[in-house]
Amino acid sequence: MSDVPEETEGGLYVESTIIMTTVRVVAPFVLTFAIFIMFHGADSPGGGFQGGVIAGATLMMVAFAFGIESTRHWVNGGLVAALAGGGVAVFALVGLGSVVLGGSFLEYDVYPIYHASKYGIELVEFAIGGIVAGVVIGLFFVIAAGFDHAVSEEAER
Amino acid sequence: MSPTFVELALIGFVLVAALGAALLRDLLASIIAFAAYSLGISIIWVILQAPDVGLTEAAVGAGVMTLLFLLAIAKTARPSEERLFERPGPGAVLVAGLFVLVMAATVPALPAIGASDSPVVSGEVTEHYVENAYEDTEVKNAVTAVLAGYRGLDTLGEAVVVFTAGIATLAVLRREEFT
Repeated sequence: MSDVPEETEGGLYVESTIIMTTVRVVAPFVLTFAIFIMFHGADSPGGGFQGGVIAGATLMMVAFAFGIESTRHWVNGGLVAALAGGGVAVFALVGLGSVVLGGSFLEYDVYPIYHASKYGIELVEFAIGGIVAGVVIGLFFVIAAGFDHAVSEEAER
Repeated sequence: MSPTFVELALIGFVLVAALGAALLRDLLASIIAFAAYSLGISIIWVILQAPDVGLTEAAVGAGVMTLLFLLAIAKTARPSEERLFERPGPGAVLVAGLFVLVMAATVPALPAIGASDSPVVSGEVTEHYVENAYEDTEVKNAVTAVLAGYRGLDTLGEAVVVFTAGIATLAVLRREEFT
């Protein structure tokens, strides 16, 4: 890496057919595994935090194979923010909703749903997964852009 | 209970990797040593029957953190080093050595792995969770039952901390959106 003289856009990127093909084959399975960990965390090791990180790592794999800048254009920025912000909102609403219905915070049983506790925990795990996946993806792109990105954008204004 | 060969090998690997991460002068080498350390620790967690923690360590420590560190040195300077290892000063060695001694002194007091009479297992709180978790929350993984059920408010706090970390990074790097 030290022989790369100047950091330009995608300067780190080396196009490799092997990596692109491998990622194309592996990525769907990794994402499936992430969702499995997220939803099956209630009955086996795992949960929202771990599943969210693995889901975020899937996108990093894609960025590794196809270039960070082209992945940045491909990814919907609003979706990443919605995952993170929406996750917090869903978690807080599920918790406060039970207070509104007369229980204490996150007392799932007050929801008039079949197996409310089980599905409530699944929903909360999914919300956590969204937060973690969104933030991990966000941190990746923000750090990849670095400070110079912000400065150059400010100069354009 | 004497440690098995696999455990000893793992502990040795983790120690070497940790020393490498601390002492290697080249940043890239140090990051790779740090990733190896995380991977070793995550396998140790699995052996210690904490698969939830092991998964987190492997995904966050060995995976995402390594990548973020690599991005960070790619974005900043990576000075070329002549020496392979850092030469820590006597003060640093003394402080680190004393800290290791203090920590190591607590090891003989720890219960054996999986001992049924250890304070954690026989504790009132643990017994309550193990006995009632499934009936109360209808999930089989007691760790999840505690995280998202009994201690839900704490977990909301944790999740908000993660969210805040993302927002703080945006603020520090003066950006308005993640992508």
